[in-house]
Amino acid sequence: MAWFTALPAVSAAFLASLVEVVEAFTIVLAVATLRGWRPAAIGTIVGLTALAGVVLLLGPLLARVPITSLQLTIGVLLLLFGVGWLRKASLRAAGVIPLHDEEAIFAAETAELGAQQPRVHRSLQWVAAITALKAVLLEGLEVVFIVIAVGAGRGLLLPASLGALAACALVLAAGAVIHRPLSRVPENTLKFGVGVMLSAFGVFWTGEGLGIPWPGQDLALLLFAGLFLAAGLLGSSLARKLSLEFA
Amino acid sequence: MTMLREVAAELIGMFVTERRLTISVLAIVAMVASLVHVIGVAPLFGGAVLLLGSLILLVESVLRGARPAG
Repeated sequence: MAWFTALPAVSAAFLASLVEVVEAFTIVLAVATLRGWRPAAIGTIVGLTALAGVVLLLGPLLARVPITSLQLTIGVLLLLFGVGWLRKASLRAAGVIPLHDEEAIFAAETAELGAQQPRVHRSLQWVAAITALKAVLLEGLEVVFIVIAVGAGRGLLLPASLGALAACALVLAAGAVIHRPLSRVPENTLKFGVGVMLSAFGVFWTGEGLGIPWPGQDLALLLFAGLFLAAGLLGSSLARKLSLEFA
Repeated sequence: MTMLREVAAELIGMFVTERRLTISVLAIVAMVASLVHVIGVAPLFGGAVLLLGSLILLVESVLRGARPAG
């Protein structure tokens, strides 16, 4: 396994997971603060179990798909996912759409949970657990897709999974220490970087799936990443000027 | 059922951030596949179309997002 193939895959899985785990952590923390750690932990464990089930179900199925079909399908999905993230991150960097605010999300989630007044205490716990479960499941789906997508095409499923798990451990450790939403994580910069890497992987694997022999083979990924980074920065800079003109 | 709907919406939302961008990217991939496998152009030319097409679509989509709607 070449480091320049494994490194982008592991980094993409790690950074994307960092973004998604921070978002899920904010909601789980709101649940724990308002309703206690028990429903938060139950929701989180059930969500993680469901996600593990998705990986265990998809893993063996993917092994049966011919490699070119797999690369083409995953390549197209990665390209759509990557340019989507890069578009959003470029618009956020340009100030066109607001940045993701973990403190605001924490406050909104806490207010929403606090506003619920069911008749019995058990219902409150149930609603809190479901809220944590939904956060873990919905944010985790993106992590699962990224891990499978960057890992499956080249037999990097294990390193990519380890990258994602390392991000989970890092967020949980930071969260356990500060007991507050992780609002200082440079989320948009991370999203920008992940968007660049996923778009590069997307073009690379779509091309391989279509039978395109990229010059330099895996090294072409670095060129693609550089070009997507330049395009994202160019788009962001032009978008900033354009939004100022219309302001 | 509500949660299943939310999971389905999340899955679709992962790949359809903006409908026009999604359709354009799929069109580029289909065009490259036709160029390489039906018309028979050099695969590397198809690769260049895929790469440059994706970059142009990205910048165009960001600029469209910066313009006021309407």
